[in-house]
Amino acid sequence: MFTPVPREKFDKLQLAALAGLMCLGAAFVFSATMVSPVEIDKAWFAQTWFRQVVWYGLGTGVAAALCVLDYHTLARWSFVAYWAAILCLVAVLIPHIGSMRFGARRWIDLGFFQFQPSEFAKLAFILAGANFLSRPVDELKQMGVFWQGIGLMMLPFVLILKEPDLGSALVLLPTGLVMMFAAGTPKKYLLRLVGGVGLLAVLFLSSILFAPEGWRVPIEPYQRNRLLIYFGRDYTHFAPLNATPAELQRLQQRQLDDAYNVRQALISVGSGGLMGKGWRQGTQNALGYLPRAVAHNDFIFSVIAEEEGFVGSVLILALYAVVLFTGLRIAGSARDRLGKLVAVGVVTLLFSHVFINIGMNIRIMPVTGVPLPLLSYGGSSVLGSLIAVGLMQNIYIHRRGY
Amino acid sequence: MLVFDELKKNDLQLRLVAVMLVGGLLVLFIGLWWVQVVSARDYQSHLETQQFRTIRLPAVRGKILDREGRVLAENHPRYNLSLYLDDMRGPFDMAFGESLKAARALQKQRIAAAEKKLDRSLTKAERKAFAFKPEELQQMRAAARIRVASEIVAQVGQKMGEPITLDAKKFERAYQTRLALPYPILPNLNASNIARFQESYTNGLGADLELQSVRRYPLGTTASHLLGYLQRDDESQAGEDPDFNYRLPDYRGLVGVEAGFDAELRGHAGGESVQVNNLGYRQSENIWSQPAPGQNLVLTIDLDLQTAAEAAMVRHQGAEARAAVVVLDVRSGDVLAMASSPTVNPNDFIEGFTPAAMARKDDERLRPQINRATHENYAPGSIFKPVIALAALESGLNPSRIFTVQADPMKPGHSCIYVGKRKIEDTVLPGEYDLRRAIMRSSNSYFITNGLLTGIDKIIALAEKFHFGDLAGLPTRQETKGDLPSLKRIHSGWREGDTANVCIGQGEVSVTPLQMAVAYAALANGGKVLKPRLVARVGPQDASLGQTATNFPAGVIRDQLGVSLRSLGILYNAMLAETEDPEGTGHPAVVPGLRICGKTGTAQVQDAANRLTGYNYWFASFAPFENPRFAVVVMVQMDLPASGSGGKTCAPIAHDIYEAILKKQIAATRTLATLK
Repeated sequence: MFTPVPREKFDKLQLAALAGLMCLGAAFVFSATMVSPVEIDKAWFAQTWFRQVVWYGLGTGVAAALCVLDYHTLARWSFVAYWAAILCLVAVLIPHIGSMRFGARRWIDLGFFQFQPSEFAKLAFILAGANFLSRPVDELKQMGVFWQGIGLMMLPFVLILKEPDLGSALVLLPTGLVMMFAAGTPKKYLLRLVGGVGLLAVLFLSSILFAPEGWRVPIEPYQRNRLLIYFGRDYTHFAPLNATPAELQRLQQRQLDDAYNVRQALISVGSGGLMGKGWRQGTQNALGYLPRAVAHNDFIFSVIAEEEGFVGSVLILALYAVVLFTGLRIAGSARDRLGKLVAVGVVTLLFSHVFINIGMNIRIMPVTGVPLPLLSYGGSSVLGSLIAVGLMQNIYIHRRGY
Repeated sequence: MLVFDELKKNDLQLRLVAVMLVGGLLVLFIGLWWVQVVSARDYQSHLETQQFRTIRLPAVRGKILDREGRVLAENHPRYNLSLYLDDMRGPFDMAFGESLKAARALQKQRIAAAEKKLDRSLTKAERKAFAFKPEELQQMRAAARIRVASEIVAQVGQKMGEPITLDAKKFERAYQTRLALPYPILPNLNASNIARFQESYTNGLGADLELQSVRRYPLGTTASHLLGYLQRDDESQAGEDPDFNYRLPDYRGLVGVEAGFDAELRGHAGGESVQVNNLGYRQSENIWSQPAPGQNLVLTIDLDLQTAAEAAMVRHQGAEARAAVVVLDVRSGDVLAMASSPTVNPNDFIEGFTPAAMARKDDERLRPQINRATHENYAPGSIFKPVIALAALESGLNPSRIFTVQADPMKPGHSCIYVGKRKIEDTVLPGEYDLRRAIMRSSNSYFITNGLLTGIDKIIALAEKFHFGDLAGLPTRQETKGDLPSLKRIHSGWREGDTANVCIGQGEVSVTPLQMAVAYAALANGGKVLKPRLVARVGPQDASLGQTATNFPAGVIRDQLGVSLRSLGILYNAMLAETEDPEGTGHPAVVPGLRICGKTGTAQVQDAANRLTGYNYWFASFAPFENPRFAVVVMVQMDLPASGSGGKTCAPIAHDIYEAILKKQIAATRTLATLK
């Protein structure tokens, strides 16, 4: 007889990194928001940073609750969750259910909480996808199964794109593809798929950036403008042929205005330098150059980078690296392919968020409304991220050799 | 390590995912390193340009004082009532909110009306036509701003009992371009307005007093020519940061000592940086370089004599007199008074001219901006004769030898002299003249004859020692050299007639009143040609700051005449006779208790076509005869028909000045007596 080796119940390293991220998140949401007089006048429990802390608490609670159930039980319900999410995504598009903000319908107003279905659709997709892909490897070689998998991914993708929320839709693609790859889908298929998608993307971009009028893919003007700014194309190329100089000038002004956020984010990050200016000492945010509406959510990284410098940025990267690699370790030690695929999906999803968000702060990615997991302010995003890492911990708890 | 553990796993797929993660994180790491470490300085300067506005703070200009410390030019505080726009942000936003609310209500009504008309709800595209355009919102904001500002301005005006209105256009321009600076609504408050504002508008919003330092010449036109005037000039000076976003008003001296000592008076401007938010409102400020105040200038001018000289010109010749007076201390070369008429009030260059004052300033005939004491040269006429006399005496003229002035054959009772074929009229009666009588009566024939006997070379050599035809080096930027034929000139194409002209102070010789004063001072002090001194000292405004003052030495000798005291003595007696002998023409200058040596003169003024257009009358003198201290030169210009003379026109002005000198000396001895 041999006594079982005492085992860790949780992946403590990952938990420590998550705790670190949440502390930083609370601190910098505080720093980013406690500059407007309206915010400062609020009671402490109504202030944004405290609400963020409440969301951390709630999210941790939900994640812990999910860990009680074996992830297999969860997977069994995954298609219910998936279709429920699809239903929500459809509902959000209906004018009287989905509420409109900044020209997009992304939220369902629950009174106390602006619920963002796309955050949960991502998780439901990971669970359902993992469940679907965990079938025997031989079945994955069938074309039909391959296309079913693609369909599973494209349905929420199209619905989220319709909101429109390009960023949230885009993160589904790498998540789905990496999961298919990890499941053992033949490389041939995936390469063809990636090649096809890549070709489509190139066609799409060249149509938007260079095609004459009439040949352009119809997308929302603000989305087109974001792409134009990212690729450094002039708005005036898109003026009608008979545009007056005044109109051209107005277009140029608009371009400057639209590029404003990106420019200010870059100035914030860059002016932070090596050591930063210190917590709550950043002027870009305090003086309102970084727009107040986005400083505490999509552009929270700019605030951190300005106040804590390169050192702070690298610390953030390191914390995410710990979360991501412990996640991969969990995937490697998972009891079965279902567990491995869920973990890989969560890791890829988190990584895509981190890469796109930080990338847009330093202008290597176009601006899309993708939050930085656990650091950006936002209930749906925090809840979604914490549930996702809860799933990973669940897989760790129920890992091999139990 | 965690990462390498993953890479070593034999699960191929997970290993690839790990590689992808490492790659992605590396891209971010390099990107961040590039932005935050390599290009950090670029972004920091971006940040500074967008967050900081620099303001040039001019220094307080130094004062100009007379030799006894009386103020000729100073600065007085000026209070402008200004709007501080950064304090008004709240009300601006509030007013905009109200207009927006009203506009929204109107918009709703319009949509409802349109829907009623169509009997259906509008589609999204149709609603768009009712949406606010960005320009409309901008206009609404601007209108709200102007409304708030006008209200505050009106309120302040009511409290001050003086209606003020806001110039909407000007206000909007200031808002767009100079938001970080106060916006003046009522410039130059008087004392009662300041008091009224301070007691009635204590908790007021937005409006407050703004202090500005403005140049003032408390005595108005007194000494205005030598003081000069200022012109608005906010530009950076050499060695100063040239890039400021805003500049507060600063001034530069254009002429006079304001110009000559501009750098010293002006001090060094400082700089302030104001941090502004994204809308351009002021958040915080930091003076990174305090302005260093300019230095005070102490002149050699004696205010009592200066005002006496100016008053004398006005009393005898009127405010439109074209005249100049120079009073020199013959021992030190100090310029005690230097007056020119007519004058321009230098305060007008700061406060603005009335149309009448502007017309007078630019008058072609009066030319009030010319400092006639140094700025223009005039034919000296007979006051040049002592120079000829001195040259003749030094080359052996016997002063008592009798010279007979010939009668004019054409005009009975008049006299004349022929030089070659040319006839030169003499104003004296025909008869017998020695040197004393020739100076006293100012005989042309006597001086032409003796000048020709002496020779032009000796005359020019002596005149050069007097530094005629040379700058005196005053720091006023209003000097002219005058004319004196060079030695080269007198050796080519020079005729006796030219010498004859020089002998009577006409022709190719012309002088400034200051040069004449220096020359008479040299006669008076025994032959020392002094460098005139106008500025005695440049020193810090606040002596406790430890800066040191620069003193300019008095009595700097430019040249020694090298003439005998005997010759000078003979001249003194002759010139004393000019004022004291009943026959003398300078009689009106006489002041009881002061013996004056003088010489009157009249020079013809010709236009370009050699037609006589007028006369310059002169009286050049020094006193007291026993122990000379002061040289006084008076010059008055008159157009034809002119009925003056050096004695009738200029000597009375000199008289007033000598009276002032005497009064001052008596007062000084009295003070000394009481001190003892």
